[in-house]
Amino acid sequence: MLLKLALKRIAGNGWRSVFNILILFLVLMGMLFIQGMYDGWMRTARRQKEEWEIGAGHFEHSNYDKYDSFTFKDSFAKIPDHIQELIRQNEVVPILVFSGVLYPQGRMTPISIKGIPWDQALLKIPSQMLRVKDEYPGSLPTVIGQDMARTNGLSQGDLVSMRFKDARGVFNAYDIEIVKVMATPVSSIDESQVWIDFTVLNSLVALQNSATLFILKDEATQLNLGSNWRYISQKKSLEDVLAMMKADQAGGYVVIALLLFLAMIAIFDTQILAVFKRRKEIGTLIALGMTRRQIIRLFTYEGCLYMVFGTILTAILGLPLFIHLGTKGIPLPQELSNLNVGGFSETMKSYYDPLTILFMLIMVFVLTLFASWLPAAKIARMKATQALRGKV
Amino acid sequence: MKEPLVKIRDLSKLYPTGGGGFLALSELDLDIPAGAFMALVGPSGSGKTTLLNIIGTLDSQTGGEIEVLGHKVDTLDARQSAALRAEKIGFIFQSYNLLPVYNVYENVELPLLLLKMDKAERHEAVMQALKWVGITDKMKSRPNQLSGGEGQRVSIARAMVKRPKLVLADEPTANLDTENSVNILDTMLQINEETGTTFIFATHDQKVIDYMKRVVTLIDGKKAKDDLKTGN
Repeated sequence: MLLKLALKRIAGNGWRSVFNILILFLVLMGMLFIQGMYDGWMRTARRQKEEWEIGAGHFEHSNYDKYDSFTFKDSFAKIPDHIQELIRQNEVVPILVFSGVLYPQGRMTPISIKGIPWDQALLKIPSQMLRVKDEYPGSLPTVIGQDMARTNGLSQGDLVSMRFKDARGVFNAYDIEIVKVMATPVSSIDESQVWIDFTVLNSLVALQNSATLFILKDEATQLNLGSNWRYISQKKSLEDVLAMMKADQAGGYVVIALLLFLAMIAIFDTQILAVFKRRKEIGTLIALGMTRRQIIRLFTYEGCLYMVFGTILTAILGLPLFIHLGTKGIPLPQELSNLNVGGFSETMKSYYDPLTILFMLIMVFVLTLFASWLPAAKIARMKATQALRGKV
Repeated sequence: MKEPLVKIRDLSKLYPTGGGGFLALSELDLDIPAGAFMALVGPSGSGKTTLLNIIGTLDSQTGGEIEVLGHKVDTLDARQSAALRAEKIGFIFQSYNLLPVYNVYENVELPLLLLKMDKAERHEAVMQALKWVGITDKMKSRPNQLSGGEGQRVSIARAMVKRPKLVLADEPTANLDTENSVNILDTMLQINEETGTTFIFATHDQKVIDYMKRVVTLIDGKKAKDDLKTGN
């Protein structure tokens, strides 16, 4: 009965109801858009990092510190025989990391030289381009990232001198040819890095079949490498990028909080206005036999019904938009792609996690309930005789 | 002897004010039998509306005793007094107090919704009440589309639709012209005689007073006169 009365009230409120529902609709749309975009961004960044760098997880030599190039000369070991088969099956990709110096256009640039098997198919790095066909090539085919190319003024086809110290501590130098500038969205395989073939790098640094890292295709793969190696899970590898996104997401939460605040103000305003405008009506309802609790419920239902209608409107009008954003996405301008920020290099697709949507709906619902209940609670204190006289 | 519908003994009502309080009702004794058609009259501030509100369980006394339909008003909790109003007491207000978002039919139906009556029964009762007051042709109209007389008729229908034992009318003709006032009073008198419903008016309108079978005059919260008229 109260629900029916509340429905009638909303219908009778005319434009005020329409505005309230529209505000709630816009708030829900805004919240879902922001959250969907963040979730989509995170998923894209995670996927890109997985596809380009970390696979399903990796093992690294216990001496290896990717932020300290002085550790590289001691961060390798011979690949155990039992892993060879996994490498052949493309279940594991070995990577050897050494430090060196590049001399582009006469300048000196410290680099990490990374060796990856040219025939690997696990990571998206275009390693096929690294294949050395001649036994004694004049220059070594290398791949660099777009950021590295831009920073050092390099482009495809350029020849550059590269100097490095081999495993015995002997300096050596070689000319490299940039055979490909890869458009990778993952900056951690791009900046100050040069990719060459795994076997070639091994021979350059006077090693044989040695690796610094083992990238796994499947998280469950057991390598039994011993105490010189440590396992870094995908989650651990993603910590930095996710922390950066979370920090950025905090800004999004502020917008969401502001939107929520706006919606609550709208509902609260309507309801508090209703209390003052409708005090005679409230007195009449009390005289007709309605209890105070029923009146509070009537007003609370009204507020909640706005939320229900706002949700229905969001579902009807927002669903096509969200489906479009989730499937086709928003193409990003080139300037943003060039930032080389994870997830920013391709069309930005939103992602909607049902649990997140449910959580948001519940949050808006609870706040709406509160914003509707608060003015109604004031009514509960109103004396019927005063209400009938139009006083509060 | 039959118990009166409303039994008032030594009733007083004190409103707290800055200067110690305002005594709206004092030492009031009154018995109102079932089927009465009576008015509480007196000048402004004499306590008419206060007494009506206490009888209607919208307010409570500060002294004395009052029993309405067998219930001591001051012992009823909020839920019990709401139930008593919902089932047995109808109200008619000076400015009709119709709910603007509902049409005539829905306004009259509202008290029955509170009684959780089923739809068919509700429809029958609403149509009967609208017929009583002669406003069936306006049942789809909104209150703002009605004239003053029509609005008050709807208000009477709303009060009568649940067949209450007692109807309390506070200045029901104050906003009406003579013709509409007379029509309204005729309707209420007819209902009183047909159904035996007790009507208590608070008024200082002579037209209303002329219709009454009993007139209780209040002055400064005390009963000054209690005239039982005959020949009406």
